[in-house]
Amino acid sequence: MESEKVLTFADQVRAIPGGEHFDVCYSCGTCVSKCMIQQKLEPEYNPRRLLRMVNMDMREEAFESPTTWLCSACDLCYPACPQEIHISGVIGAVKQLAVEAGYTSPLETVVVDESLCSGCGICVMTCPYEAPHLIEKEVNGVMDRFSEVDAEKCMGCGMCVAACPIGAIARPGVSNAEVASQIKIKKQKDVPTLAVFVCDWSLRVDEDLEMLESYPDNVRIIHIPCSGRIDPQMALMGLRSGIDGVMVCGCAPGECHFKRGNYVSTCKISLLDRMLGQMDLADGRVRFVQIGTQDRGRIKHEVDAMLSSLQKEVA
Amino acid sequence: MVDAARHPNIKVKTFTNVERVEGYVGNFKVQLREKARYVIAGRCNGCGDCAKVCPIEIPNDFEMNLAPRKAAYVSMSQSVPLLYTIDEEHCIHCYKCVEACGALDAIDFSQQDKVTWEDIGSIVVATGFNHFDPSVMPEYGYSRFPNVITAMEMERLNNSAGPTTGNLIRPSDGTNPKRVAIINCVGSRDKRFNPWCSNFCCMYAIKNAILLKQMYPDIDLSIYYIDIRTPSKGYEEFYDRAREMGIRFIQGRPGLITEDENTHNLFVHSEDVTLGKVVEHEYDMVMLNQAAVPQPDVDTVGNVLNIVQSPGGWFMEYHPKLRPVDTPTDGIFLAGACQGQKDIPASVASGSAAASRAGRVLHSDEWAIEPIIAQVWEDRCISAQGKQCGICAKACPYGAITVEVGTAAEVVTAKCHGCGGCVGECPHNAITQMHYTDAQVLSQIRALLADRPEEKVFAFRCHWCSYGGADLAGTSHFEYSSNERGIRVMCSARMDADFIYEAFRLGAGAVLYSGCHPQDCHYITGQRVGAVRAERLLKTFEKMGMSPGRFRVEWISAAEGDKYARVINEMQKTIDELGPEKLAEEIDAMKPEMEKRARRMYEAPGVNEASEYSDVMALAMTVQEVSDGK
Repeated sequence: MESEKVLTFADQVRAIPGGEHFDVCYSCGTCVSKCMIQQKLEPEYNPRRLLRMVNMDMREEAFESPTTWLCSACDLCYPACPQEIHISGVIGAVKQLAVEAGYTSPLETVVVDESLCSGCGICVMTCPYEAPHLIEKEVNGVMDRFSEVDAEKCMGCGMCVAACPIGAIARPGVSNAEVASQIKIKKQKDVPTLAVFVCDWSLRVDEDLEMLESYPDNVRIIHIPCSGRIDPQMALMGLRSGIDGVMVCGCAPGECHFKRGNYVSTCKISLLDRMLGQMDLADGRVRFVQIGTQDRGRIKHEVDAMLSSLQKEVA
Repeated sequence: MVDAARHPNIKVKTFTNVERVEGYVGNFKVQLREKARYVIAGRCNGCGDCAKVCPIEIPNDFEMNLAPRKAAYVSMSQSVPLLYTIDEEHCIHCYKCVEACGALDAIDFSQQDKVTWEDIGSIVVATGFNHFDPSVMPEYGYSRFPNVITAMEMERLNNSAGPTTGNLIRPSDGTNPKRVAIINCVGSRDKRFNPWCSNFCCMYAIKNAILLKQMYPDIDLSIYYIDIRTPSKGYEEFYDRAREMGIRFIQGRPGLITEDENTHNLFVHSEDVTLGKVVEHEYDMVMLNQAAVPQPDVDTVGNVLNIVQSPGGWFMEYHPKLRPVDTPTDGIFLAGACQGQKDIPASVASGSAAASRAGRVLHSDEWAIEPIIAQVWEDRCISAQGKQCGICAKACPYGAITVEVGTAAEVVTAKCHGCGGCVGECPHNAITQMHYTDAQVLSQIRALLADRPEEKVFAFRCHWCSYGGADLAGTSHFEYSSNERGIRVMCSARMDADFIYEAFRLGAGAVLYSGCHPQDCHYITGQRVGAVRAERLLKTFEKMGMSPGRFRVEWISAAEGDKYARVINEMQKTIDELGPEKLAEEIDAMKPEMEKRARRMYEAPGVNEASEYSDVMALAMTVQEVSDGK
């Protein structure tokens, strides 16, 4: 009887909505070359191989593969795939099966400090991965609401960290305090100072990153996981400590590594810019630049342009 | 080409469009429009003095816009006939060319398009293919990055007759590139654009790489590929030679190209699939091996010639294996890449084949066609009574039927292939099909359902697919219900609704309507005509309250004997599950409605005799059964 057929791993993946179509993959490697995770994070990361593992029913290997856990569903690869496979959908299906089988995410995820959390739910609205949700539990005999983060869903972008109004969420390595401690530049005579928050994913080529590091001391490079991690308060803190300008560098529209961090950031920075204008602070102190995957070398122009416009302010 | 132009029996008509084609095999009438070139053919000697004085310079599309041409031009110096043309669109009428032409007096600005009709015996379509435009793929930066060029641009750049006299230079700065990448499958094997493999690009990439390596031995060449396909004689050896010459083959389709804005050098980002690693290599120049795509005007050409296209826009052959250069329209043949992407040897072979197929027509005084053709009963056709109809013409996949209000529809016998679509569609039974007349089919139905019809599973099968499927089921000894009774018609389009009504009126237990899968139809679109009708019948019977499964529509190929057997068995099961009493009740209840619906057919000529035939046939079958010892 057909109903008694044992489902293979490939069948199980195929049965999950979004997990279909991996069979047509002809291993051209376009997805791998589009994706930046192998280059920037994990040499073993390879979506093409994961699709192959699914095809060959390699269940355990697929569950243990870093590809299953590191894909942030940015979908840079999807529009480029010549076979029109929704690769992140397949990876998501594998991840779902892995979680059901008891595997856990090796990623560094955000942590909620329950002593601070007020249960307002802003983090729930902010997260692109539906990782946080509100729970009710009894504390000292009183029912209270808290945010709880699903570790298997959290990709560690830090958008909720930036959004939380009381700083109740932190991601180890990029907590508010750790980022804030980096925004310090020694005031220099006749030279403008600039803090550049660089999202880890917007600069595809290593030369651009090296170029940024080669700027003299008046330009401070601060690495953040996503431009959506930026908290307007950080920019204000920087300006208050005497820095002349703040630049946030993120991905081009539609290319955000965390789905919509660059969109959130666009809104935040434009609001902040307007607020500064109302405070009679000259326009152009805060800028958000979006670097596309093909914009090799553009960041240098952007930084130079900002420096020269700040130079006028300083002079 | 020069030989062809000189041949006494070959007329070369350039700058000429085919505007209309009428008639049929051996007797085509073709309307040609010879466009005005403002140069008199008999006088121009191709000296080019007009082009020298012409002040207008526009991009030369023959040189892939890498060089200019004048408004007085020939597209290339080897053109046949070597005859200049004035580009009216760009000409400013300074008449310097007239002056330069002087005593030859070959330029005539009063020239008009010339429209002529020619008698043509057979037609060979050799309109070729076009190139995919890679600028729609932003990831490769073509048209933004100057040093990303297409294969055709490379072809002009390394051609000694090209704009650089064969000196390969970078468009950005005119220097010779030292590192060149070739990217295969740009727009091919890509469901976003063209799903097909363009067939010749692998070899083409290797050819270009070897050529460049021979011209510039120090050049660093990489070919990015998904798969290298070298299936013909000597091809794999050629591929091997390229590897031995030091050309690098990198398996992996690049995901994007970035450019250094100062040097205009290019960085190709790809996965090296063999290593499983993302690699980024720097090149001075990148050549995109773009897909072969059908010509942009295939629809126009197809409409003029009444030939159809395969998915994607290539012209469709009569049969992909057995008649690859014939079209479904007799007397029209396909040569080269207009039928599908082909390399040079395959194009030459198909050209020779098409020429000899066309020659067969030219050397015949008579042309044999299938005897199974449609015929119109003129007195029954309502078009003759001045009413709008034309349903038959719409059903015909070959354009063989002409309908003019006031006269009866006319079937051009030489064009008719005998699918019977028009016969099945005609609401007035005004067309019949030779050898498959209504009377003949009816008598078969009646004979087969003469005895205990309610037990029978009655199958209509098309000649080319489902009949073959049934045959295969038999020869493969697949067991299926012995209550199956089937008849053959040429196409599912011939399965007249009246036949189905008649079968049910006679009390058939179940009826199967079967034919080819849509893409396999022998008569181009016959199956679609049949499928639309079958859908309608399904709905009708559902409304009439027929138990589901008693009327089934299945598309069964000649290779699907198992499917045929399965379907018949399932239908047998449906009858069994219904039970004889309920079935008899249903049949009786529907009989008057079926009779009413099938009524019109009884009026058709010759149908009355059908009952006589069927009596004789039924008797003959009984006799046979007796003699078989049953």
